[in-house]
Amino acid sequence: MKKFYLMLLLVVGMVVLAACSSGDEEASGGSGSEGSSDVDTITAWAWDPAFNIAALEHAKEAYNGDGEYEVNVIENAQDDIIQKLNTGLSSGTTNGMPNIVLIEDYRAQSFLQAYPDAFHPLTDVINSDDFADYKIATTSFEGEQYGLPFDSGVAALYVRTDYLEEAGYTVEDVTNITWQEYIEIGKDVKETTGKNMLTLDPNDLAQVRMMIQTNGSWYVEEDGSTPNLAGNETLEKAFETYKEMMDADIAKIVSDWSQFVGAFNSGDVASVPTGNWITPSVKQAADQSGNWAVVPMPRLDMEGAVNASNLGGSSWYVLNVDGKEQAADFLLNTFGSNPDLYQTLVKEIGALGTYSPAAEGDAYAVEDEFFGGQQLITDLSTWTDEIPAVNYGLHTYAIEDILVTGMQDYLNGAELTTVLENVQGQAEAQLK
Amino acid sequence: MSQQASKKAEVDLPVHYKYQETRRQKTGVFFRRKIGWLFVIVSIIAITIFNFYPMVQAFLLSFQSGMGANLEYVGFNNWQRLFGDPTFIAALTNTSIYLLIQVPLMIVLALFFSVLLNDPKLKFKGFFRIAIFLPCVTSLVAYSVVFKYLFGIDGIINQFLLNFGFISQTINFLADPFWAKVVIILAITWRWTGYNMIFYLAALQNVDKSIYEAARIDGANAFQQFFQITVPMLKPIILFTSITSTIGTLQIFDEIVNITNGGPGNATISISQYIYNLSFEYTPDFGYASTVSYVIVILVVILSIIQFRVAGEKK
Repeated sequence: MKKFYLMLLLVVGMVVLAACSSGDEEASGGSGSEGSSDVDTITAWAWDPAFNIAALEHAKEAYNGDGEYEVNVIENAQDDIIQKLNTGLSSGTTNGMPNIVLIEDYRAQSFLQAYPDAFHPLTDVINSDDFADYKIATTSFEGEQYGLPFDSGVAALYVRTDYLEEAGYTVEDVTNITWQEYIEIGKDVKETTGKNMLTLDPNDLAQVRMMIQTNGSWYVEEDGSTPNLAGNETLEKAFETYKEMMDADIAKIVSDWSQFVGAFNSGDVASVPTGNWITPSVKQAADQSGNWAVVPMPRLDMEGAVNASNLGGSSWYVLNVDGKEQAADFLLNTFGSNPDLYQTLVKEIGALGTYSPAAEGDAYAVEDEFFGGQQLITDLSTWTDEIPAVNYGLHTYAIEDILVTGMQDYLNGAELTTVLENVQGQAEAQLK
Repeated sequence: MSQQASKKAEVDLPVHYKYQETRRQKTGVFFRRKIGWLFVIVSIIAITIFNFYPMVQAFLLSFQSGMGANLEYVGFNNWQRLFGDPTFIAALTNTSIYLLIQVPLMIVLALFFSVLLNDPKLKFKGFFRIAIFLPCVTSLVAYSVVFKYLFGIDGIINQFLLNFGFISQTINFLADPFWAKVVIILAITWRWTGYNMIFYLAALQNVDKSIYEAARIDGANAFQQFFQITVPMLKPIILFTSITSTIGTLQIFDEIVNITNGGPGNATISISQYIYNLSFEYTPDFGYASTVSYVIVILVVILSIIQFRVAGEKK
């Protein structure tokens, strides 16, 4: 009997060995196919049919190079893209991987560093000077440009002019202000109109992220991996400001996206400080047309802070698989060099790119009736150029999850320096 | 399966044959058993390749660390790291709380419902059974989202409590560390009670009615019947359901992600969600993630052994 089990084990072992060695061969075959290779079809992954998928479709039409290949656009949920890339790239097989993929800027560095050879550099393909500085910082790694910057996450303050007026303020009063001034205005607005000034989600520190970027600071140091929490004066200031907002009782607490959108669509809040991609959602409430204006993001009350920040945004990447030349060619002849495409994107889907030469086009100068005739796109793209460049590094979401607990402690009365030292320790322990 | 098959073959052999076994005859025995082995070999190989091989690989992976594909062996670092990792400790604590409160609660409820529904005098039995079992066929994500809205700050639960004067101000259930856990426990209890109830109902059908009859004649009341007859008769099933529920609760993921996403802070995060975060939400560290996965394996083994001991099963 024993002998038989041994034999069985041997057979099974051999099968297993055979299975994994053949797997290795396949993987090396996949990545070994360097050199140029012609393919007929390239695949692109993105996630939002109303936004980046639509942008790809417009790009296909606008393509003016002389490559002959089909572009196959596939919609995947963003979480699915992250999972598929992670599992695919870490297993070493490139089967089923797309040629072009859209990656959120906050995650870009972690992909570039975790899978060093998986992405095809675009340094010689695109002209980095044509794009907003802050986008270049997040999409390059070790001197090579990997991403082609796509949408701008330039943050802005959307305000209800009618509520402000009721409280005795004009749009000028909220333009280029500090967060402290914002809170004071918020108190007056709440007193006269009974409306909250903004929404806050205790589980999402987007507010803090936008605040610290106005002063060129981030959760991590320049190297992109050392947590920069304890003793980070900008972060301290942002935490204090966040708490002041809570204490001033000018914030409506929400816990998810639909409550967030619902709050301003139903007229419950007087302002929305967030990324410009919120514009279509703000416009959903057609009855509020003419009652909105968009002003630059408030800044932290600190030396060097500017009235410009960013929230979200993403860029295109080319994977190092067969068809990478075609993929790079496609990107170059669309998002990389075609100002007209960006006009179409603004007009058709309201997507604001970060390609500077596009800003001179007509579509950017259109006056938006919903926002009282403001030249919204022009304003936004001006502010885009002022966003301080920071290295988002590897751990934005990991650190944010730790910070959320820290913020809770702080709001419940813990001392700020202790809280930040605490989260620094946690982050260092977790990110070893 | 395979062991049983081979044992049976052994038993079938004539006694004298066993003692006379020579080398040559042994091969003969092996040959005779070959047919049986042929039947099971396919599934054995499949299980080995798709179950055991990944398990061994994951175990090896738990001694490695690094970003994405840049993994290297780090010895026991990952295991040491566990004890200094506040998020892991929070996840472990939360999962233990769910386990300690939810599993007993659900088992007792399921037992209670099944006894009620097994009452031969009960009318509309089919309706009640379906009503209680129905939550089990709903999608995990769909029901989680429903619960999230029920307990939202503008949700129907808050409206109800306000209108009936139980509270003077809305409770933000999902933003409060205590209430968020309560919501999670309520949700999984709602979802899984009916599932366990079905096992008890099936087992109750097999309990001989005459035992109860005899008990009644001896003057046992309903409580005595329940504790002296029903519970002991259902003991194997109770053991089975508590083990499967324990495993299920240790792996809880969908509800947490969809209802609270681990928040507020890390107040509701579960081990599985932390594994997901380590692999896909943060910069991927599959090595450390698989170390955390193995913690679940170890916990399941330990808890199952305890449950077997408590239930007094010999094997």
